[in-house]
Amino acid sequence: MNFPGELKYSKSHEWVKMIDDTTALVGLTDFAQQELGDLVFINLPEEGDEFDADEVFADVESVKAVSDVLLPAAGTIAEINEELLDEPQQINSDPYGAWLVKVEGITGFAELMDADAYEAYIETVEE
Amino acid sequence: MGELKRTQLYDAHVKAGAKMVDFGGWEMPIQYPTGIIAEHMYTRHACSIFDVSHMGRLNVRGPERVKFLQHVLTNNVQALELNKAQYSIVPNEQGGAIDDAYVYCFEEDYFTVVVNAANTDVVLEHFNEQIKAFDATLENVSAQWAAIAVQGPESKNILQRIVGGDVQLTEPMRNELNTLTVPSMDNMVMRVAKTGYTGEPIGYEIYIKSEYAERMWDRLIEEGAKPAGLGARDTTRLEAGMPLHGHELGKDKDGKEIPIFAIPLAKFAVSFSDQKGDYIGRSSLKKQQEAFIRINNRDFTDCEALPRRMMPITLLGRGVMRAGCPVMKDGKEIGYVTSGTMVPYYVSEGKGLSTKITDQINRRSIGFCFIDSDVLNDEKVQVDIRGKLIDAVIPEYHMKNDAPPFTRVILYREDEEEVEAPKTQTHESAMKLISDALENHVWRQEECINMIPSEMSASKAVRMLQISDPCFRYAEHRKIASFYDEEVFYYQGTEFIGRVEEMLAQEMAKFLGCKEVETRVLSGQMSNTCVFSALVDFKNRLNRKVEPKRLGYILNNHIIKGGHLSAQPMGALKDFVAVDPVTEKKAVVNFPVCEADPYRIDVEKTKEVIDEYRPELIIFGKSMVLYKEPVKEISDFVKKMGYDTNIMYDMAHVLGLIGDYFQKPFEDGADIVTGSTHKTFFGPQRGVIGVNWDKSDLKYGLWETIQSRAFPGSTSNHHLGTQLALLMAAYEMNTFKDEYQKSIIKNAKSFAKSLADAGFQVEGDPSIGYTETHQVIVSVGYGTGPEIAQRLEDNNLICNYQATPYEEGFTASGALRLGVSEMTRFGFTEKEFAKVAELMADCALRCKDVKEEVKKLRSGFTVMKYCFDDSDMEKALEDFAVRLGL
Repeated sequence: MNFPGELKYSKSHEWVKMIDDTTALVGLTDFAQQELGDLVFINLPEEGDEFDADEVFADVESVKAVSDVLLPAAGTIAEINEELLDEPQQINSDPYGAWLVKVEGITGFAELMDADAYEAYIETVEE
Repeated sequence: MGELKRTQLYDAHVKAGAKMVDFGGWEMPIQYPTGIIAEHMYTRHACSIFDVSHMGRLNVRGPERVKFLQHVLTNNVQALELNKAQYSIVPNEQGGAIDDAYVYCFEEDYFTVVVNAANTDVVLEHFNEQIKAFDATLENVSAQWAAIAVQGPESKNILQRIVGGDVQLTEPMRNELNTLTVPSMDNMVMRVAKTGYTGEPIGYEIYIKSEYAERMWDRLIEEGAKPAGLGARDTTRLEAGMPLHGHELGKDKDGKEIPIFAIPLAKFAVSFSDQKGDYIGRSSLKKQQEAFIRINNRDFTDCEALPRRMMPITLLGRGVMRAGCPVMKDGKEIGYVTSGTMVPYYVSEGKGLSTKITDQINRRSIGFCFIDSDVLNDEKVQVDIRGKLIDAVIPEYHMKNDAPPFTRVILYREDEEEVEAPKTQTHESAMKLISDALENHVWRQEECINMIPSEMSASKAVRMLQISDPCFRYAEHRKIASFYDEEVFYYQGTEFIGRVEEMLAQEMAKFLGCKEVETRVLSGQMSNTCVFSALVDFKNRLNRKVEPKRLGYILNNHIIKGGHLSAQPMGALKDFVAVDPVTEKKAVVNFPVCEADPYRIDVEKTKEVIDEYRPELIIFGKSMVLYKEPVKEISDFVKKMGYDTNIMYDMAHVLGLIGDYFQKPFEDGADIVTGSTHKTFFGPQRGVIGVNWDKSDLKYGLWETIQSRAFPGSTSNHHLGTQLALLMAAYEMNTFKDEYQKSIIKNAKSFAKSLADAGFQVEGDPSIGYTETHQVIVSVGYGTGPEIAQRLEDNNLICNYQATPYEEGFTASGALRLGVSEMTRFGFTEKEFAKVAELMADCALRCKDVKEEVKKLRSGFTVMKYCFDDSDMEKALEDFAVRLGL
């Protein structure tokens, strides 16, 4: 499993890539996609929707189940990755390329970890 | 719950990196590292193996095993023959399902009942309680036998490589069973069932002793199969529309029994046969069936026994529906989703037989729902997916599997708006029709090598007579007893055609070698319908105050073994054959065929079948026909045994071969011969019926019935133009048959040999020259028949694709059916057929373009032989043509 050093990670397995101080891309981690299995559908919010940190902003469905996705930063949805609506499997094949949303006007974050801390965290989860 | 149970293949799953889950108390692979989507797709285009050893397998033995199973299952066990499987349901008193089950009959002395893993204990307990009242025993053999489902278009090839090439796995149809030994694996015993839960038209479930489980699993993978888990098992079964207990069967979400008739399969799985007598849940099921019939006739006045039905559902909007999601219509909740997921599929292109399955993958959101019975197919509904209402529709089905070797995805499509006809001038269209027809005529008559064995071109005289005057007329007539059975015509102006009909009957009687002939029937199929109808009428003639009884039993050739469509229950027999009350199936049995040569009827085994079933009617004749039919052997046997049966020979394909070089049906003992006049015979497209009874015979009454079933029974306008032309064809045949028939047989044998020399696998017995008829069958590879036949057509070589006795149906055809009759008539000899064999091999086996060579070969053979071509006839036809306006 792969955890790029430049990203931050949440306990609910989303990654955050800062573009500037108040703008970020958000996606699902490699661990998350492996746990979910083949993704077949994704529900994304609308542009302009506002969310608090750790609020459900999307859901993803695998063949077997549906899972909520939490926004690791409080802010406004600036853009959604429309490609994923048709090809949610991109999240399986390229979890760190397949961003879900771009968040702007960020006013705060959920509890985030760096790559090493997240890797260690996953080991505890896997137990 | 205690320890999870493990199957014989647990280690193999773990080794392969499967994700293991608890499934009904079993630790089972949900998926392998490739993932559910890849596993689903591999099943659809290649072959997946599923470990199904967790399913419960219960053997029922003892003298009252049938009685016991009739009591605890919904289907009619007595209808289950050796080496057949049957879908059934374990009912409770309320008409709900304790489980669904497959019943196998691998051996005469016991049945195996296969039930769901999670229900095995419940079913076992129920059966153990019930069996006390019967002299029968129950044994759970699940631990001794591993079970592997081998599913997908490649499954047959993969298993075939494991068991060895010359052993037949099972008969090709669904629900067939077989027991084999596998030489490459210590001669272990393998039980094979042509069954499955994926909807694949080609799929097997195999049973092997537990100690061989892993070896077999590995062998299957070596041969190209890939493991698939419960995830793909669920998506494939859902797409195929198969119910799963706990979702579509059992209890609904409020804990109420789901009526068995709520699932579409109930129609086949529930029997009310007298053989079953009373059984668990029968009275509830009877009420459900009555409601089922009303509902399907759109009478919704009383749906109490069946308030809701299981229907497929497709999401039109975005999303995935899950079990439990409410289904809404006009703001009202009408039911809920019982199973739902997103399934992948391969996108198809093109139409009809030329449909190509591409490797592009798409997804669709489908499921099953349990909804009010008054909701019809194609109705629009909505699904409440976590608070959002998404549009959906109730389609007829999600997938079909009647075009093997592949399953075919059925996407929901709105009815296309009717396209307005293009506004062209009628005159313009008429001119175009003439030029198109001319182009087609020249192509088929001058440029193509025509080898469809059921076709023949007609001579100039025959063609001209066809369009001459009586072709617009009527000439209804029948024997009237008051006039000493004179034929009385209903219209004036019919003296000529009346005379023609009489002469035609004489010529045809001479040719067939019989006393009486009916020529008003318009086709071979109509000839058969007419005879079947007459047999029913004759059977019931002495008591007309009750519902007439149909025919039963009938012995015929199975369609897969070459049987003619017009002698099948799905064809002309449909309305005339009884249903056997024991088996609840059409009272038809098939000629057993030789194991080593399925094109040949096994005479000794046929005698056993006749002894057992005492058929009222024996129908010889095939459309894929390489050999003489054993009419004499069977007729002698029937006479010796004193059985009252009618022997009919449907000679549609071989009518023109009757004589010294093939068979003389009436000398061999046939009572009735039917046929079409345009295959090996020289005529226009018509039918004929001949019989050989004397006026003093009891059966002469049957002959008179046949005549009355021809008219007024079948046709009032019997196409007088072609009837006139048929008389000329009969003159031609009676004059030239010796030379023609000799050439046909010689050419066919030599063509077969040339094809074999050119690299084709020719079917039939090489020691007799592969064929005794005008037909040659060549195998070109499973499922490739349609494609190769099209390639040959593109090169002006016209033949038809054909399913061999080993294949499931016409879309899976792996052979070509070739006939030499038409080209022989245009003068082809062994030399030309040798050249055709070469061209066919270049085209079919080496993909070469041979069109110009074909045209060149054909161009030297456009003049009809075996007809009157002397100068007197030439002159007479020229004069006739002028008056016809030609």
